[in-house]
Amino acid sequence: MTLLEDHEQTRSTADPIPVAVHLRPPHREGIVEHFAPSDLPSGWDVARHPRVARILHNRRLQFALILPNQIVFWAVIFLGFLGTAVPGLNFGTAITWYVWFCLVFVMMVVVGRAWCAMCPFGGFGEWIQRRALWQRAQKTLGLGRKVPEPIARYGFITSVGAFLLLTWIEEFFNIAGPGNPMATSFMVIGIVSSALLFFLVFERRSFCRYICPLSGLIGSVGSMGSVAGFRTRDRNTCLTCTTKDCMRGGTDGYGCPWYTWPGSADSNTSCGLCTECYKSCPSDNIGLYLQKPLNSVVAPVRRRADVAWVVAILWGLVIFQQFNALTVYSNFEGWLNRVTHFPHYPNPIAYTGIIALVAAAVGGVAWVISRAFFRPGTELGLAPDSFVARKSRFRAYFLPIAYGVIPVVGADYFARQLPKFFKHATRVVPAVGSFIGHGSTSSAIYKFHILTDPRIVIAQVVVIGLGTLAALWTTHKITNRELAPISRSTAAMRISVMAVPLLFGVAAAWMYVLMQAAS
Amino acid sequence: MTIIDDAPVRTVPEGLTAPTVKVLTDRCAGCQECVVRCPAQALSMDVDTWTVATASELCVGCRQCERTCPFAAIQVSGSPLVEERQQVHIVHPEQVEGDRSETRLGFTSWAEALAEAARCLSCPDPTCVRGCPAHNDIPGFVAAVADGDLDTAHRILSRTTVMPDVCSRVCDQAVQCEGACTWSLAGGTPVAIGAIERFITDNAPVPPLGQDSNVGAGLSVAVVGAGPAGIGAAATLVKAGASVTVFERDAEPGGLLGWGIPEFTLPKAVSDRPWVTLTEAGVELRCNEGVDAAGVERLRQEYDAVVLAHGAGTPIRMRVPGADLEGVEDATAFLHEGREALASGTVPDSLAPRTAADGTTRPATVLVLGAGNTAMDVARIARRLGALPVCVDWLDRKYAPVRPDELAEAEDEGVEVRFSSTLDHLEGEDGRVARAVLLTTTQESASSLPTPQPGSGQSLDVDLVVMAMGYRLDADLTAHVPAAPLKRQATGVPDRRWIGSGLLAAPAPPAARGRPIGTLALGREVALSAAILPEEERVWAAGDALVGPSTVVEAMAQGRRAAFGILERQPRRPGRGNGAGDRPVGLRVVVATESRSGTTERIGGEIAAGLVAQGATVRQVKLADLGAADLLATDLLVIGSWVEGLVVAKVGPAPAARRALAELPGLAGLPVALFCTYGINPRRTLDTMADAIVAKGGRVVGSAAFGRKPNHAPRTVAKAWAKEVSSPVAVG
Repeated sequence: MTLLEDHEQTRSTADPIPVAVHLRPPHREGIVEHFAPSDLPSGWDVARHPRVARILHNRRLQFALILPNQIVFWAVIFLGFLGTAVPGLNFGTAITWYVWFCLVFVMMVVVGRAWCAMCPFGGFGEWIQRRALWQRAQKTLGLGRKVPEPIARYGFITSVGAFLLLTWIEEFFNIAGPGNPMATSFMVIGIVSSALLFFLVFERRSFCRYICPLSGLIGSVGSMGSVAGFRTRDRNTCLTCTTKDCMRGGTDGYGCPWYTWPGSADSNTSCGLCTECYKSCPSDNIGLYLQKPLNSVVAPVRRRADVAWVVAILWGLVIFQQFNALTVYSNFEGWLNRVTHFPHYPNPIAYTGIIALVAAAVGGVAWVISRAFFRPGTELGLAPDSFVARKSRFRAYFLPIAYGVIPVVGADYFARQLPKFFKHATRVVPAVGSFIGHGSTSSAIYKFHILTDPRIVIAQVVVIGLGTLAALWTTHKITNRELAPISRSTAAMRISVMAVPLLFGVAAAWMYVLMQAAS
Repeated sequence: MTIIDDAPVRTVPEGLTAPTVKVLTDRCAGCQECVVRCPAQALSMDVDTWTVATASELCVGCRQCERTCPFAAIQVSGSPLVEERQQVHIVHPEQVEGDRSETRLGFTSWAEALAEAARCLSCPDPTCVRGCPAHNDIPGFVAAVADGDLDTAHRILSRTTVMPDVCSRVCDQAVQCEGACTWSLAGGTPVAIGAIERFITDNAPVPPLGQDSNVGAGLSVAVVGAGPAGIGAAATLVKAGASVTVFERDAEPGGLLGWGIPEFTLPKAVSDRPWVTLTEAGVELRCNEGVDAAGVERLRQEYDAVVLAHGAGTPIRMRVPGADLEGVEDATAFLHEGREALASGTVPDSLAPRTAADGTTRPATVLVLGAGNTAMDVARIARRLGALPVCVDWLDRKYAPVRPDELAEAEDEGVEVRFSSTLDHLEGEDGRVARAVLLTTTQESASSLPTPQPGSGQSLDVDLVVMAMGYRLDADLTAHVPAAPLKRQATGVPDRRWIGSGLLAAPAPPAARGRPIGTLALGREVALSAAILPEEERVWAAGDALVGPSTVVEAMAQGRRAAFGILERQPRRPGRGNGAGDRPVGLRVVVATESRSGTTERIGGEIAAGLVAQGATVRQVKLADLGAADLLATDLLVIGSWVEGLVVAKVGPAPAARRALAELPGLAGLPVALFCTYGINPRRTLDTMADAIVAKGGRVVGSAAFGRKPNHAPRTVAKAWAKEVSSPVAVG
């Protein structure tokens, strides 16, 4: 077609801009295959129901989710300073360490980023950044910078680094013990103010995506959850959409604060369930999808190196936390503290060293498996040269293996929270009562334990057992799809790979038994 | 990874760093906004990760991808790989006095034009097109030039402009198309778009206006003013087969093209050309026929539509002591007088050399107040008439909105330009101006007003003072243009297609002299959108009449847009059919509803069905999505909302409906029917909605409230409304 024919075929219109726009056709080759495993049938889209749709369209929804938590966490801050110094009787410490942390794990395993949708820390920063509690405001407050590439290129790694740092601080000051309620207040103030600072310097939810200590944990372990997040209903509509309101923001909603495009979302890892894309889509082409448990672990074709390393590091941390309860660690750290003149637990060298060793061991196991079973001559395909997406023989095994063990890692974290919950969750009641002078450490409910040892250990082992079974299933599915085609001696490979979650489970359960024995 | 086989091969000019492009794969969502826009085909998709893959060896460093990525997930480093821009030829007359020859010549050879055309990347989403107020298809005509096909280039230009020869000479391209060129946005030197456009018109005459459709057949339109806006409107209407009569108060058409822009910038043959073309095409031109407010009323009775394109002709005068002395005049008078004097080779008395008591003569000193483009024209004419012009402007030189090339040429010709200087007062002798006392000013930033420094007074002997600080609207006709002067300022979320193009991501490219190019372009778009809708019943406005003093190209584009509005709405003057009756299809209706549970939308659907049964063509839209385009080809607008509030308190239209009604453009007498759906009692909901419609200039022709058990069927109501609107005097 000549230039002129091209023009003549376009009807004369008042707005001539479209005539001059000749966007290249979007790439479609391979798109169906790429997303087929993670795409969900329309029946799983709960936003099809008018009532749900109406709720999701309501701009006050997220505000309503955040507000109660906002109230609770400001109460935590104030009561830490003004309330009783008895940790078990102070509402701030009781709600935070006996209930909240455990609930967050339940939410992430059941839903995904449910906590992110109601998080008061990000919520507070976002209110200030948007200068609006729920309205779609046009002007934002702050510098609106992009997260620098050296941080952003490592994805969730910075977040898990922040989690390690926060955990170390919490252990060092015995905040979650719980110790002095004031320490909990300082910690929450620290999180709120650093969140606010990041919200004022960077655009969108850069804090949540890259810095928040819980983001990497929720992003990886939360992929067990049964809410797939907001996804496209018809990918073709998204591909040909010329406005991308879901990313750039439209009249009714902001652009995705989490840097996620519903048109390519294949897991719930980066969907903060904030509903903004749903509100802003001009084509009503976004649904809120449910999924089978573990689907976001198994289904995505795209495996991310940052998520894999987050899983390995998180495993290192939880193993450290179990290991430090054993006598052998106490002896070792006592010696190390004397040598390094460090005052008390946790010695940072031991802390980072053990975590790094465990994480490296996970990588090492994957490396050995890759060396043993990779079929020579197998094409791995090209990928952008970046930390998150680079491809190698090692990564071809490490990433699937790490994704596969997510359920057992998640189960171990959950199991870690159980003792405090079972022993002390009821203390929230007298803690609330202490507001009006009715809470007492001598009350029956204060001393009531939902479960006691050794039943708690049994519960922990059961949780680990369930996690291990889930991990065996996910590893099996992932191995079939991703490792079998690139491996030789597939039977031996399968046994080796399946041994990883099994070993994880056995190690975690065994340590709980040892911890019980040690205590 | 897919690298396109036929991708062009780039070359890296000496001294430039080869650009590299990097994708932040963590944030890349694979939306392909960059892929579909990359002019160099350097981006494709990695199917395994569904992120963007790059081929740096193809990247030309235009950074369109960076500007367009919604998540800032792509980064380009290195230089924009573009050849040096071909320089246009500037003529410096050896003898300025009396010279009328054009000073800017553009490209004089095909080699130059082809080399410059080769610099164009033919961007898939060309930002230059959005930067051009007329939205010329710039990559299209540049490609035609590259093909050596000037006929095609003219055909492409003729779709959006009727004055490429004029605009290519008088447009300030640096803050329009060239400022928006992707090279400019990337920090490089833009394609010389204006010079290429001019090359086309220099080497192939602008073709005559052929009638290209019958859409306007039967319409008779009066256009008030024969300046750029009138030209744009008349040309578009006559091409569509409408009968057009243009009323011009001056003896010659063209508006400021005729008297305002000197011949050394816009030769007479070029400024006359549009009207030669228009009259040949059948436009009736009535010069020396000014139209006042009462005249507009008369025209409205006689014609189907009126376009007010009378410009902003009242010069702004500075109110300082001495401003009423003899020898103080405004730019309009001076430009008229100066143009005639130059043409006839005479020198007006006010500019004649002065003879001192000792018999020596000296040139007259002309103080020009202002240093914008009009002031430059005044000063350069004064210089050509033998005077010594001194321009003063209270703005700082770096913030002054004058074209740099025009300023340089003026200074080169001997015009003294004093920025950061303002007039304090004028002193006279024998009732005639003799001295000006000037104060220095300081200006902190582009957006702040300059501050005169007290005590910095400087005296300057002057023989003539010309106030060239700009123009404002004629008070007489503004009564018919309630929106005037319309602020060219976009509010709310910008059109995401504009964000996607990347134009708004580079707020102040260097080539645009630090002006916020995207903001300026979006502001112009506000005026374009407004021009398509009538200001009053069957009265449209365009150009300076709508927005106050603006530019030739904006006025022309708005005139065209007003013409499109007329062609779309097909208004009929009283007594020439009711529109619905003599149209092959019936009423054109838009039903817009704000619905929560779906009830309002359903009732809207039933009303729509009722109207269809009456022979109407009906479109149903969400009230929030109702835009100017929906209101254009519409004979009846039906608006429905649910009722919010408690039974007795705060009962009214839904909040979203209130917002949408408040944001409606002017309705200019459009018939509107209203309905609401309620649970218990609608109270004053319909009255509130009616007030909002009347405030927008709409005419409420009916209303109905539908409760849980409707006491009247929507179809019956629809029938009554259709009947009401179809009555002979109803349709605007």
